[in-house]
Amino acid sequence: MADVVSPWERRERGGLYYTRSRKVNSQVVREYVGGGLLGQLAARMDAQERRRREEEAAAWKEEEEQMEALMAPLEELCEGADVLARAALLAAGYHRHNRGQWRKRREREDG
Amino acid sequence: MREKTARVSQPLGYPALPDPATMSEEKRERRRQALEKWRGLVERAEQGSKDALPAIREVLGDLPELSWRLVNLAKTAEDSLIKEMTSDNDLLAREMLPLQLAAMREELAGPDPSPLERLLVERVVVCWLQLQHADIVYAQHMKNLTLKQRDHYQRWQDRQHNRYLSAIRTLAQVRKLLKPTVAQVNIAEKQVNLAGGELPSSPGQT
Repeated sequence: MADVVSPWERRERGGLYYTRSRKVNSQVVREYVGGGLLGQLAARMDAQERRRREEEAAAWKEEEEQMEALMAPLEELCEGADVLARAALLAAGYHRHNRGQWRKRREREDG
Repeated sequence: MREKTARVSQPLGYPALPDPATMSEEKRERRRQALEKWRGLVERAEQGSKDALPAIREVLGDLPELSWRLVNLAKTAEDSLIKEMTSDNDLLAREMLPLQLAAMREELAGPDPSPLERLLVERVVVCWLQLQHADIVYAQHMKNLTLKQRDHYQRWQDRQHNRYLSAIRTLAQVRKLLKPTVAQVNIAEKQVNLAGGELPSSPGQT
């Protein structure tokens, strides 16, 4: 489990200081925002933004799931129809040239 | 034992029964298993396995039945899409859309389609509907999308478009390669139609 670092940092003189962590070139950079009222305001704004992003992600995920569910029968239909068409063509003596064009198999005339 | 139904001889359109919404999980599973078996055979035949082709020819009699079962699946997909594309109050669209699809189906199928052709026609129609749905959803959401989401929707649309084109291509291939071609020849000043490879019977023969 990843370590969760609190955004509030206790300073040597005892006060709390609000910080933001973000990744820059795959390294975590800590930005010092402020203490007291300023820190609290920044913390509240960050929490709101985080909630908004979470809600947006959840709505997006739900939409994606709905679309996938809608697609499921169509996927099965397309795959099935494709398999049957290929089977019928193979049975009729065709083969697929380089996985592309269907060509009639040439009868071999031995002897 | 293979289920015998009278659906093979039914006119083009939705098979009367069974309603796919009420199709049991057992039947769905049987359909999946049958398709898996076919897929295995086809892949083996395409890789050059000598015993796969005779095996395919052996089960070819099951093709109409399996095609019909998949046509039921097309109806499920179509119903869900229509429901998704129209609101509950939009009764006119809910009535008109199936009629438009039926007309498309009739036009694409032409006279006397084989069960495989019917299945491929259904696939084209449902893929077309899915493409319309993708376009509508994109248009509805376009204003509020982030760049990443817009990219996602466009890839979704591309996928539907490719699927639609692929459905048309397969139908055209099957039509071109498997439909017996009719050639017209003049014999004794009479026009005679010959279906692929068929020879005219000599005088006196029936």
